[in-house]
Amino acid sequence: MRLNQTDPSMIKTSSLTKTYSTGRVQVEALKNVNLDIDQGAFVAVAGASGSGKSTLLNLLGGLDQPTSGVIEVEGKKISEMNREELALYRRFGVGMIFQSFNLVSSRTALENVELPMIFADVPKRDRRQRAGKMLDRVGLLPRCRHRPPELSGGEQQRVAIARALINEPRILLADEPTGNLDSRTSREILELLADLNQSQGLTVVLVSHEVTLAREFAGEIIELRDGRVESRESTP
Amino acid sequence: MKISDYLGLSISNLWKRKLRTFLTAFGVTVGIGALVAMVGFGKGMQKNVTESFASLDLFNSLTVFPAGPTTRRFGFDPDDRVAVEKNPLPSGAILDDEAVKKLEQLGGVQSVFPEIRFPALIKFKAAEEFRLVQVIPAKITSSKLIKLSVGKPFSRDDEDSVIIGTSLLRPLKIQDPAAVLGQKIGVAAIAFDFSRFNPMNIASLLQERQLPFKQTAYEFTVVGVTSAMSFGGPSPLQSDVLIPPGSARRIEKLPFANIWDLFSALGGRLGYSAVNIRLSSPRDVDPVKRKIQDMGFSTFALVDQFNQIRTSFIYMDMMLAAVAMIAIFVASLGIINTMVMSILERYSEIGIMKAVGASDRDIQKIFFFESSSIGFLGGVFGLALGWAVSRIINRVVNYFLARQGLPFLEYFSFPLWLCLGAVAFAVLVSLVSGIYPAHRAARVDPVIALRHD
Repeated sequence: MRLNQTDPSMIKTSSLTKTYSTGRVQVEALKNVNLDIDQGAFVAVAGASGSGKSTLLNLLGGLDQPTSGVIEVEGKKISEMNREELALYRRFGVGMIFQSFNLVSSRTALENVELPMIFADVPKRDRRQRAGKMLDRVGLLPRCRHRPPELSGGEQQRVAIARALINEPRILLADEPTGNLDSRTSREILELLADLNQSQGLTVVLVSHEVTLAREFAGEIIELRDGRVESRESTP
Repeated sequence: MKISDYLGLSISNLWKRKLRTFLTAFGVTVGIGALVAMVGFGKGMQKNVTESFASLDLFNSLTVFPAGPTTRRFGFDPDDRVAVEKNPLPSGAILDDEAVKKLEQLGGVQSVFPEIRFPALIKFKAAEEFRLVQVIPAKITSSKLIKLSVGKPFSRDDEDSVIIGTSLLRPLKIQDPAAVLGQKIGVAAIAFDFSRFNPMNIASLLQERQLPFKQTAYEFTVVGVTSAMSFGGPSPLQSDVLIPPGSARRIEKLPFANIWDLFSALGGRLGYSAVNIRLSSPRDVDPVKRKIQDMGFSTFALVDQFNQIRTSFIYMDMMLAAVAMIAIFVASLGIINTMVMSILERYSEIGIMKAVGASDRDIQKIFFFESSSIGFLGGVFGLALGWAVSRIINRVVNYFLARQGLPFLEYFSFPLWLCLGAVAFAVLVSLVSGIYPAHRAARVDPVIALRHD
């Protein structure tokens, strides 16, 4: 799926609202959010906890459906997709990484990277080869036979990045990817994301509360507060 | 996803929880083992009966009885004897030699021989044994009805020969059946002693101190020993001492074998208590039966009895299978339990799979493959267990039967459909058990599951 060159926006949301009802209490996590993220951009979404950052990312990642409003990714309205179509979107359209890495702890690094290709019907031999290549790309090929508990936090996050990108999506969504890492490792991970953004034109949406660090790598900072877009600024 | 991927994923998941997988599968193993052993037993018994009927040519057999209150041939109440079709007309037809000739002339009849038995004392060296001696024509001894382990059938109807059954060897203290061939056996029959019917001793006769009988001994040469086989029951063979009719006629003997014959005789109905007919084909059973009934006799066809036996085997199979079904039902609860536990343990893994692109259907299928793998494993082991149990039972039962001189009998039968069906059934049961867990796994919300730690 090639991008229409006349419209450079990769992700577009209009009047995006998400309301959670927990028992009798209704929580508005996102209120009328309008966003426009260009193809190949590196955008950081900042905000205090509870500001709706993760909710936004889950909606963009097709893990959740909005209460109202529209999400368009590469011209396709994912807010109107059914469960089956959303699974396809998650499989090929977008990669996600998380603060807690979310690797399958009983499977080796290689097997974790292979997992998305199983659902994408890639033949077993190709899977091994491609997973190895991708692990090499994130600098973890020597550790590919290790299971997540035997890897450091930074290494685990690299495995997660390799897994997120293995089906060649054009968007990477990162939900606090450095939240569990020390500052040196955090910087290494963000450098890797910036490199992927620069060299492959990967659109990166990074959710982080560490604004100072994010500012160093992202081209744009979107600040959320109480489910609304508070500010939007380009970094120098 | 490819089938090999589903299989690979589920097998690796099951392997991670080896003990639990094997315990759950063992539940299925017990159920399927019970099912296989029990249905195998039912089938084995059915096969034995069918084969022995076929090998003795019993499907071609028909027995004719005089009408009216006939012998209690099979030892059960005449009212229960559904298979014996009584003639509704109380005709006075007597089953004598004249009737036998008429029966011989019916179309489809191959051979006819009346059932003649008389009590006798069998002597061999020092051993003595009471038996009912049965009269069997020479041509019948060479038919399928009689299977000889050693020796040969009678060549003529008037030779002084005897064929004995294996069951008589032990009482007569004979070790080697081949060694007894050509040896003489004494047959002492009881007959009326008319010399005692004189006025001198009539008083003591009336006081029952003396019976008006005498015993006469005859010598017969053993020409054959039958292989181990059962006699009695529905078979025309009712004894393990067989002599040809010609020499039987020379023996002074009582004209009845049991008290029921005596009652018939007193009613002026002296004749054979039964006549055995062998037909050329089982197809002739019905028409010949009708003709004989028109002559005023009752008939008994083993085919009818066989159909009754077959129906009772179906009931037996169903009951045995029902017992096994209880075990399988319990095993299926075990599968549901294991699978639900597995969802809870792998909650975040399911979320991860969904996040990287697994659809609801993918997750559902992974769980279905897992539960059916448990079922397949349990089914295959169950088949092995059922077979092993049947070998043990067969060996133990036959050990005790052999000690009583009875032949080896295979009590179990495992036709291919039973083996394949048992495994297929185990997979089916586990698939059904997997419906709820698979559905539940498919509905896991990835947002919640990924927050789950």
